[in-house]
Amino acid sequence: MEGIFARLVVLAASGMLLTGLIVLWRKGVPAYIAAFTWQSWLLSGMTAAVGYLGGEPQLYLVAVILLLLKGIALPALLRATDRRFSTRRELLAYVNTETSLIVGGMLVLFAYVLTEPWMAMTKLPTRAALPVAMALLFVSLFIIVSRKKAITQVIGFLMLENSIALLAVVGTYGVPLLVELGVFLDALMGFLVMQIFLYDIHETFETLEVDQLARLKH
Amino acid sequence: MALILLLAPPLVASLSVMLVRGRMRLVAASTVALNALSLSASVWMCGDALWRGRTIVSSDGFWRVDGLSALLALSIATVTLLASAFGPGLGEADEYDEGQARRFRIFVNAFALMMLVAVTTNNVGFMWVTIEATTITSAVVIPLHRTKSSVEASWKYLLICSVGIALAFAGTVLAYFDFVSTAGRVPNALNWTVLRAAAPTLQGELMQLAFAFIVVGYGTKAGLAPMHTWLPDAHSEAPAPLSAMMSGVLLAVAMYAIARWKAVVDVALGSDFASQLLLAAGLLSVAVGAFSLVIQRHYKRMLAYSSVEHIGLVSVGLALGPLGAFAAWLHLVNHAVAKSMAFLLAGRILHRYRTTEIAGVSGLLHVMPWTGRLFAMAILALVGLPPFGLFVSEFLLVRAAIHTGHLWTAAVVLLLVLVAFVSLLGHLNRMLYGAAPVGVAVGESCGWRIAALAGCAAILVVLGVALPWPVTGIIERSVSAVVMP
Repeated sequence: MEGIFARLVVLAASGMLLTGLIVLWRKGVPAYIAAFTWQSWLLSGMTAAVGYLGGEPQLYLVAVILLLLKGIALPALLRATDRRFSTRRELLAYVNTETSLIVGGMLVLFAYVLTEPWMAMTKLPTRAALPVAMALLFVSLFIIVSRKKAITQVIGFLMLENSIALLAVVGTYGVPLLVELGVFLDALMGFLVMQIFLYDIHETFETLEVDQLARLKH
Repeated sequence: MALILLLAPPLVASLSVMLVRGRMRLVAASTVALNALSLSASVWMCGDALWRGRTIVSSDGFWRVDGLSALLALSIATVTLLASAFGPGLGEADEYDEGQARRFRIFVNAFALMMLVAVTTNNVGFMWVTIEATTITSAVVIPLHRTKSSVEASWKYLLICSVGIALAFAGTVLAYFDFVSTAGRVPNALNWTVLRAAAPTLQGELMQLAFAFIVVGYGTKAGLAPMHTWLPDAHSEAPAPLSAMMSGVLLAVAMYAIARWKAVVDVALGSDFASQLLLAAGLLSVAVGAFSLVIQRHYKRMLAYSSVEHIGLVSVGLALGPLGAFAAWLHLVNHAVAKSMAFLLAGRILHRYRTTEIAGVSGLLHVMPWTGRLFAMAILALVGLPPFGLFVSEFLLVRAAIHTGHLWTAAVVLLLVLVAFVSLLGHLNRMLYGAAPVGVAVGESCGWRIAALAGCAAILVVLGVALPWPVTGIIERSVSAVVMP
């Protein structure tokens, strides 16, 4: 039982990492949104599985909120924003696809090296997914710094949040419920404010490319 | 009781502005009164901590107010009251319409509430939630006038700080992972007191990584170099009262979070790893701040870079043991008063001259005699001249560095402070004297706002000349809250 559980968790976590890496080579905002949606569904499913097999019923609630918020509501809002602004399908990045993928691979490797000593510390059956969570964290950070469009930076940020939620679930079976709820509230509010700013940027700059945002220097 | 009195007023203020339509002037005035109530509660807390030596802990252990929390609450409440009194909507002619005034009042009070909760909660997870919420509530107010540069500044602020603060949460989760792996899942495991008690058994390597994440995360929010890049934009584009709050106390709250975590990590590692990290980040910030001051052309950005410099000094102070921590907390208080005063005055200057460029402001002493004099005092305080409080705290900082054998640190800090000194005085000189530009009205009446700012200057002088014992007492308690004896 435990063996299957562990394998299931690693499978779902790897799926999440894969959706992060997809962003590095796919072009077009809809593909990014789809990747994020898949990632959130996987996270939600895994949270429920850990709740069931680890005997933490509060994780069911977390899984449901995750599904509603990050699996359904945020992707819908993102799609609405994208429909409104999309003028050009091609997305620009500061780094080309090949280099992006190589950097992504290096980051995954780095995460494995970094988390190596943790394996001895914990006996949780989910521990094999820890390096994957750290890898997703680094890949999300790389997405944020290497993309040019404001909306892709937002998606990178949402993936970063997912990676931390993944870390919390596989490392500790979730942070205390009160904190978890606060995090969700912040995520929702933060996203809504970012959404408002996307409209503001679009109206004042008539573009969503952040390299146009270079008025403020020194 | 005191806690309710501290936290309820900003909540009520924010909600009442949200719910009541019209009667802006009355509503705005009542929010100012509520902020004053909050301030009196924080004074009460300081008194409690000082005379009775009491740490207020709620029955479930979720809230906890020791000397350090009381000190921070006092600073936050003071600066909030100032910002509220200088904010739009009080009926005087200003450049904001009623909708903007409402938005300002709703979110600034929410912002103040989040900062107050952050310093009074015992749960480090919840502390993170509220500090993240400060980013959201303050980012909404920055583009009160929707211009290209203010939208750009608030976007940079929101994105960089959200990402940074997310890393601080990753650090919190890693520390929690460490705790759960060694001690198992116990209730209230994210309470600071529980973490600190369990610190000797925590696994050091993981705590190092967690602390690195936490310093990068909260350091982004505190404006420590090299994560400070959003700070000069956001602080210079925000409306003056919000700049005062962000520069005066928001940075302090982020440093507070780092100091709480440092107290845990110091015990867990039993080494000076945390101090080394803060020392390096602090010195880099002082250097970046000081040298950026040299090339500034805008006076609000100048004040923002001066914040980077001062937060760097606080970070250096926290790395230098009990003596350094004393200097750091005193410096934080001094900086909160001096910087909010300077930003509010800069707002008045901007209102009159209609330019943020230093070159566009001349003859300030002639055009606005009161504002000019007070602005000169604020800048002289910020460069660390006696008789102002920052002279004392910087002196204590250097003394702490020499006492703990960090001679090089002391030398570098002195040199960089000198650089800041020369460049700030040069800029100030250009603004104060010379002929007034054409089209700028001359003359200024002395109202209650000037009196309030003169009060700030008086506080700075008192802190610099006398350093009365209630102040030293509460700061000593703040030091013992986070530094092992």
